[in-house]
Parts: sequence; structure tokens; C-alpha cells
Amino acid sequence: MRVLIIEDDAETAAYVVDGLRRSGHVADQASDGRDGLMTAAGGHYDVIVVDRMLPGVDGLAIVKTIRSAGIKSAVLFLTARGGIDDRVEGLEAGGDDYLTKPFAFSELLARLNALARRPALAPIETVLRVADLEMDLIAHRVKRNGTDIDLQPREFRLLEYLMRNAGRVVTRTMLLERVWEFHFDPKTKIVETHISRLRAKVGSGGQQQLIHTIRGVGYVIRSPS
Amino acid sequence: MSFGLPLRLVRTASFGLALLYATLLAVSAVILGFIVYWTVQASIDRQIGARIDAEIEILKGELRTEGSAQLTREIETRINYFGALEYFLADVDGNRLAGNLSNLPTTDGWSDIAIADPPRGKDPKYFRVKTVHLDNGYRLVVGDDLASKEDIHRAFLGALGWALLAFLVLTLTAGALLSSAFLRRVDVIGRTAEAIIDGDLGSRVPLRGTNDNFDRLSATLNRMLDQIQLLMESLSQVSNDIAHALRTPLGRLRQKLEVVRATSGANSKCAKTIDAALDETDNILDTFSALLRIAQIESGTRTAGFRELDVSKLFGTVAEAFSAVAEDEGKTLTATIAPSVKFWGDGDLLSEMLANLLDNAIRHTPQGAHIEVSLVNHGSQLVASVADDGPGVPPPERERIFRRFYRVEGSVSTAGTGLGLSLVAAVAELHGMKFSATDNMPGLRMTLTFQRGVINTRRPRPPAWRAIDHDLAHAAREIAQRAPERTETVRAQS
Repeated sequence: MRVLIIEDDAETAAYVVDGLRRSGHVADQASDGRDGLMTAAGGHYDVIVVDRMLPGVDGLAIVKTIRSAGIKSAVLFLTARGGIDDRVEGLEAGGDDYLTKPFAFSELLARLNALARRPALAPIETVLRVADLEMDLIAHRVKRNGTDIDLQPREFRLLEYLMRNAGRVVTRTMLLERVWEFHFDPKTKIVETHISRLRAKVGSGGQQQLIHTIRGVGYVIRSPS
Repeated sequence: MSFGLPLRLVRTASFGLALLYATLLAVSAVILGFIVYWTVQASIDRQIGARIDAEIEILKGELRTEGSAQLTREIETRINYFGALEYFLADVDGNRLAGNLSNLPTTDGWSDIAIADPPRGKDPKYFRVKTVHLDNGYRLVVGDDLASKEDIHRAFLGALGWALLAFLVLTLTAGALLSSAFLRRVDVIGRTAEAIIDGDLGSRVPLRGTNDNFDRLSATLNRMLDQIQLLMESLSQVSNDIAHALRTPLGRLRQKLEVVRATSGANSKCAKTIDAALDETDNILDTFSALLRIAQIESGTRTAGFRELDVSKLFGTVAEAFSAVAEDEGKTLTATIAPSVKFWGDGDLLSEMLANLLDNAIRHTPQGAHIEVSLVNHGSQLVASVADDGPGVPPPERERIFRRFYRVEGSVSTAGTGLGLSLVAAVAELHGMKFSATDNMPGLRMTLTFQRGVINTRRPRPPAWRAIDHDLAHAAREIAQRAPERTETVRAQS
């Protein structure tokens, strides 16, 4: 994927750019708002990472301009402050996701992946499939190898999010935000607990496990092949 | 307004002043009135006396020139005159010769007598009479009706009463008008102060441009408020700067550790230490974020996220998320939540608040404990509580658990920033809720009470900047202690 990082802190920018290149992505960097705006306009980036606090121009203003210029790239805000009200403001300005600094690179990568692969016009899916696991979104039913799996509503949402991102790692925070709508960090093992329950239901009867833990990063659901 | 305003009017200084003036003026009016009254009465007395004396002189002259018989006739004639005086004439033996007075004084000279007047009314009539002995030994009594004096007395009292009443009504009305004008201006200042307390630091007292006392006071207040706002802004700027300044190097430290982690072998001993160092860094950063969040919530400026919420649904989601965790730890969590309770607030913060309470309850109770979440409507009160049957908190410590970094003895070893309940308290305060910790017998009960009808937007405590500085120093010390330690270990291992 093609990523543009608009970040004034050279060290952070280098860290992100290096990390992305090492993961096989194309990454460009702009160190101020004007430069960022010009690069964004010509680059056809999948995702633009913008720092909220930039010298001279506010990150919010940059994104507003990017959006009014008709640039469709997904935008991820990096916020350094306490995070209060920043999320709402960022989303209102046209951002698609946000991440509080400092962050783990794996977290950023997982979020960028989720943003970049989001098709502009998603075909409306009614059935999600991973190997022999099948989720019928209309009937609200889950089957594995033809056998019904009885899930709690929240477990259903959790599995749905994992399946929509099949093959991609989703982090604990992403799950908290999307499945529970918790925009804070509960110090309790909520995600771990629910994942292990879901795993027990989906992989019952000695069937091959589809949900995998990526240590220190998050979870992924994928076909055994 | 129905009862409060009249009471407030009466209590104002201007009304009190008006009342004092009214009383003083009324007393002077009464004194003046009595002086006039006495003067008039005395002059009437003099007139009556002069008239009687003159009559007696005329009758004495009659006796001298015309004789006793003519005197008797003359008196009989005078009785029938219009507006005549009253007479009585007796001979030496006291036999009545002429006149219409019935009740007679026993002594000579001036006296006042009362004569019953049965046919006309119940009240007796009063007369001023003078008794004299004539040269021939006859006794003559001449009197005048005191009714005119009585009339004046009554008229005077009536007039004084009405005048006082009118006076009282006028002064009280004037006092009330003055006071309400006064109150209106005081209220404007009061409202401004309230707005500022509620977090609207830019609020100022409007001036009327009249340059009167109130305007000058308001202008002074506004200047003071400008100064305070400036100070607050620079303080918050300083805090943000400190936060930013410390978080940036910490973030870089984290980045570097991550780079080292990525290049070191997955299972080396070094990698494990780096992971631990990363965890420590994350913990410090968490503490930092929590501090900044609490400070921001306490400053009361975060109300942009306030919405009409279905708090039942919100609590249900959090309770459900934690009940699975409790179960895995061998504890039970039950929720009793009244359906469709609407509340005006910040959903993210309220979720976090309940999550912190539940996290706290799960963390500090032994296996087999029972935790109960409830949300109930008690008439005008909305009560949310989280109760457990764990070891509880001894009474003297209960107030202290809301303080930053406070740990109950024996719980220091458990994980956590020690800021969870401070955040709960800050969120509760922001939403105008009362937060208290009580004995659940056994265990601890955390109760959040919200009184409906009270405006629940923005009721922050005074900004706790001093506390933040203290907390920042605390956090910085922690960083300073841990960072070199970890670095040393990594260096020794690589």
C-alpha cells in the first residue's frame, strides 16, 4: 500500500517510514502541512497519516483541505494529547481513524491495513466465509462444517469483525473500539476472555483452530492453508 | 420565583434601608401629628373656656340690673337658642329654677361631666362646666358640649391612621422597586460567576455604560476575570507543555525499544527484558494519559461529547463485557439495570467510569466473590451502584481511595495505576453526580447518585493544577527510577 506520513517529528516519521518499508509498503514523508498537502494531492495514497499537532497548521485544517480538494485517501490521525474530544473532532474533520501517540508500530500497521483495504464501494456482503466457517449476516447464523454454532450477540459481532478482516491482524484496541465501542483502555482482559470463549465455540469438537493470537499484536482469523 | 423572589427582595440591603427610612419617617410623622393635635385641643379648650366665662359674665350682669326673676327667664330663653350652651340655676336651698343640665358637679369652678343620653344613643355626652355662686346666693352652672373636641379627636386619629397606611404602602413599594432593580443587577453578576464556575471561563459581566457604582464594580470584576483566565490558560499551557515534553521522549524511548525488539532474536533472554521494558514504558505512559485525562475532565471543559444517552444500554454493554471476565476469575457479576433510562452525558466517559468501578471490584475481591451492578430510578433520583462482598475498605480509608495514586494497604502489589477511582470521581463530578463509598456489610459499595432536575452539565471542581504538578513530579520520578534500571539490564544482556 502507499502511505503518506505528515509528521514534524523527524524521529517518529523515520520510525514509521522504516517500519512500513520493511513491511513491504511504499511510504513517503512530509514534515509540514503545506508540503503534506502538495504531496497528498499528487500521490494517490491509500492512507495518509496526519499528526494533529503540526507547526504552523493544525492537522485538522490539513485534513479539511485534503477533503475539500477531493482527495479520497483514507486518513488516520495521530493524536499526542490526552485524547479527550480529539477523536470526535478528528472524525468530524474527515478522518477515518485515530491513534494516540506514542503507539506500537504493530498497532499502526494493523490500522493502516484495515483502512487501506477498505474498498471505496464495498459490495454488500451477506455471507462471510473463512474455510468451513460460514456467517450468514441476514439470518444472523453461524455454521461450521454445516453445524450451527450458538453465539451471544457480542460474540457474533466479534466474530463478524474478525471475519470481515479475515487474514489481517486486528489489535485489541481495534476490537474494543469496533465491537464494544469502548474508546478507552479497560485494564481488564475483556478481549482475551471473549476471544477464548469464541474460540472454544468455533473450534469445538477437535476442529482445526481458525482464530490465532499474534503475540503482542492482536488476533487474526484465517484458513488453515 | 413564586416564593423565592419576595423573600429575596425583603432580604436585600436596599429594601432594609427603605424600611428603616420608612420607620423613621413614620415616627416623626406621628410625633408631628400629636403636637398639632395637642395644640388644636388646647385652643379648643381655651375657646370653650372663654365662651363659658363670657356667658357667666353676661348672666351676672343680668342679675345685677334686672333681678333674679328676669335672670331665670333669660336662662330659659337662651336654652332655646341655636347652638346654645347648657345651663343650670338653683336657689339658695339648691332648688332648680331654670336650665337643662341634669348631672351636676359637686364642687365650684371648672369640671368635666358625663350625662347619659338614653333616648339618642348609648354613649353619654360629655360637657365642660363652670360652677359659680352668684351675689344673691344662687348657684349657676354653665357648660358646653365637648362633642366638637371629640370629633376632632376622632378625625385626627382617622387621618393619622390613613396617612400612616398610605405612607407604609408607598415606601414599601418604592423599597421593593429599588430592591428588584438592585437584585436584577446582582443577579447578572451572579449568573456570570455561575457560568465561570461551570467552566465558561470567557463569560463576563455585561456593562450598561452608565458608569454607576454597579458598572464600575462590574468592570473591576471583569478585569479580575481576565487576569484569572490568563493565569488559567498559561497554567494549562504549562501542563500541556510538560505533558508533551515528557511524552515525546518517552514515545521515542518506546520506539527505540521496539526497533531493538524487532532486530533481536525472538527467543533470546534480551528480547524478554526488552518486552518487560516496553511494558514498563507503556505503564508509565498509561499513568501519564490517565493523569492528563483526569485533569482535562476536572477542568470541566469536556462537554462537547455530551449527548442524550440510553444509559441502560451503555451500562448493559459494560456489565456484559465484564461479567465474562469475572466468571473466568471465579467470581460472579450480576446486573440489575432499569430499562431505557435516559441521561444527558458523555457516553465514552460514563462507560469508562463503570468499567473502572467493575475493574476495581474484580481486582480487589477474592475468588468466589459476588459483584452486583445496579441502575435504578428512585423517583427524582437516578442511582447507580457497584457492590461486592469482598474485604471492603476500612472507614477511615474510604474517603482517601478517590485520591490520585492512593492504594489501600495490602493492594499495592496488584496491578493498576492507582488513578481509576480518581477518574470515576472526576467523571461523576462532570456529570453532577454524587459519588460515595460505603460499607456493603461485608464488602464495598460504590454509589453514584444523580438528582434529576438539577442541571447536570459542567459542575467541575476547581482545576487541580497544583495536584497535576505534584502528579507530574511523581510520574517523572517513577520514570527516572525505572528507565536506567531497564537500560542497564538490557546492556548487561546484549
